[in-house]
Amino acid sequence: MKMFDFPIAGANYAADTRNYPWHRPPDIVSYDEGVDYLIRKMNEPEELELVYALLKIDTHVATVVSAILMQGISRGKFSIDLAILMAGPLARYIGIIADEQDIKYDMGLNDENRVVITPTSLKLALGIFDDDEEDDPDEIVEESVTNSEGGLMATPTDVETASEEEQAAMLGLSNEEEEPVDGLA
Amino acid sequence: MKFEDAVKKSIKAFMNGKIPAATNKLSEEGIFHTPAYFDELEEEMLSEDNDEEIVDEDV
Repeated sequence: MKMFDFPIAGANYAADTRNYPWHRPPDIVSYDEGVDYLIRKMNEPEELELVYALLKIDTHVATVVSAILMQGISRGKFSIDLAILMAGPLARYIGIIADEQDIKYDMGLNDENRVVITPTSLKLALGIFDDDEEDDPDEIVEESVTNSEGGLMATPTDVETASEEEQAAMLGLSNEEEEPVDGLA
Repeated sequence: MKFEDAVKKSIKAFMNGKIPAATNKLSEEGIFHTPAYFDELEEEMLSEDNDEEIVDEDV
């Protein structure tokens, strides 16, 4: 969202609140009346065809119910609260008419068997394999730690050390005088 | 909570035989569309189908 692309504070008090159907009082306020309306609507041929088609492509009943209820809310037929109350009866009715037509369906209520999508699982599902994938740096560190016998603070064993002469030269103990470089003497 | 989550929760409760308690108290008769009503409806609708199949076989 852009910095200034939102309504100013108090804009809702100045706007017309009757612009949309859901701004007005709903047509249906009774639970039984609402369920009756939904069942009658579900018996319309177009609606039945759509629901059967959705169930045949493995759409969950809960998703179909949500879509039907959202449609009713957006048309101002009933309120959101009543829609949530009517979700159970509507799902049950859809289950019954699906059984009647021998359509197998899933209510879509079980989250326990849901597979968590990770980048790795997604790559495997899409058949993407990285051949030139770099080694994991953590593994390298673990290997180097396990190879050394005395731990991190132990004296290194395989490290090349300077000879005694070189060490003496580095400490300035050698008798040899250094020759001037580039004739600066 | 999203709308879809609330719908799922409502469906679960209804499938477990629960009805909206406060709505049920609004009228003396209580609500009409209970889980028991849908059980009866299911029996009726499925038995009608079976009867039709039997008639078809006889014909």
